[in-house]
Amino acid sequence: MDIAQEREGDVVVVRLAGRLDSSAAPGAEEQLTAAVAGEAPRVAIDMSQLSYVSSAGLRVLLVAAKKVQQKKGKLALGGLADNVREVFAATGFDTIITIAADAAAAVAAVR
Amino acid sequence: MLSFPEEVVLLLLDETDGDFVPLPEAVFAIVMSGAALMDLALRNRIDTDLEKMTVVDHTPLGDDILDDALAGLGTNGAKLDIVDALYDVASKAEDYRARALRRLITRGILKEENGRHLWVFRTRRYPVIDDSEQQEVRARLRRLLMSDDIPDPRDVVLVCLIDACALAGFVLSAAELDAASPRVEQLRKMDLIGQAVTKAASETEAIIKFAATTM
Repeated sequence: MDIAQEREGDVVVVRLAGRLDSSAAPGAEEQLTAAVAGEAPRVAIDMSQLSYVSSAGLRVLLVAAKKVQQKKGKLALGGLADNVREVFAATGFDTIITIAADAAAAVAAVR
Repeated sequence: MLSFPEEVVLLLLDETDGDFVPLPEAVFAIVMSGAALMDLALRNRIDTDLEKMTVVDHTPLGDDILDDALAGLGTNGAKLDIVDALYDVASKAEDYRARALRRLITRGILKEENGRHLWVFRTRRYPVIDDSEQQEVRARLRRLLMSDDIPDPRDVVLVCLIDACALAGFVLSAAELDAASPRVEQLRKMDLIGQAVTKAASETEAIIKFAATTM
C-alpha cells in the first residue's frame, strides 16, 4: 500500500492507497502515529484510493482515532469506496469515527 | 497482561465462592474459541474481513493455548469461514479452560481447593487470590461503557466476551446496564470475530431453551 502525508494549513492530510490489511497495517500505524503527534492534532485521512480494508486495518484507524481523541484533536476520513464504507457500516466504525464525503470535506470537518 | 482465554476463565469465576458462574457448555465453548481467535487477530496471526478469516502468520507465539488454536487453522494464506473456524476451535474449549486455570494458578491469581459436597461428591473450586487484574479490567470497561470514549481494540474484545457470556452485570449495575445497552451494542459490533461469537452464542442459547421447553 502507498501512504503519503502532507499539510494543508494546520491539518495533516494522510492519503492511503491500495489495501489496508495485516501486511500494510504496521507501516500505516507508523505513519499515522507520526501524523497524530503533537497537541490537539487535526488529521484528515483521504481514503479515495483505498480499495480494501480488513480488521487489522480498522484497528490501525481505531488506535489513531483514540490517540487523537485523548489529545483533544480531531480526525476525519473522506472518500470511502462503497466496499470500504460497507465494512465501516457493518462494524459500526462509522458511528465512532467521523466520515466525510471526500478528502476536502474531511479537511473541513477537522478545521 | 493476561491472554483472552485467561480473561474468560477469570470472568466466569464467581469471586465470592470460586465456582464457575452457570453457562451452558456449548456457549462456553464458543466464547472460549472466540477469545482465542480474537487474541490471535490482535497478535497479527489471523486477519478477517466481511467474508473470511485468513491465516497471515503461522509463527507460534509461545502460548500453548493460542499456538494450539493457530496450528488447527492451517498454514499461511489459509482462508476460512469465520463461523467454521469458531466451531473448530470450540471443540478444544474444555482443554483450554484447564490450561488457562493451571496458568492462573501458577501466576498466583487463583488457588485450587478440593472438597466434597454432601460428604460424597468431589468438588473443585478456584478462589481468587489476587483480584487486581479483574478490578482493573472492570473499572476500565465501566468507564468505557458509561462514556463516548473511543475504545482500544483490546477493550472491544473484552466487551464482546462479557456480552456473549451475559456478564455485562459484571461491570455495571442493573440501572446502568439499561442505559448502556446501546453502547454495548455499538462496541460489540466492532470486531468481526466478536460478531460471530455473539451470533453463535445467542443461537446456541436459543436452541438449548427450545430443547428444554419441548422435552
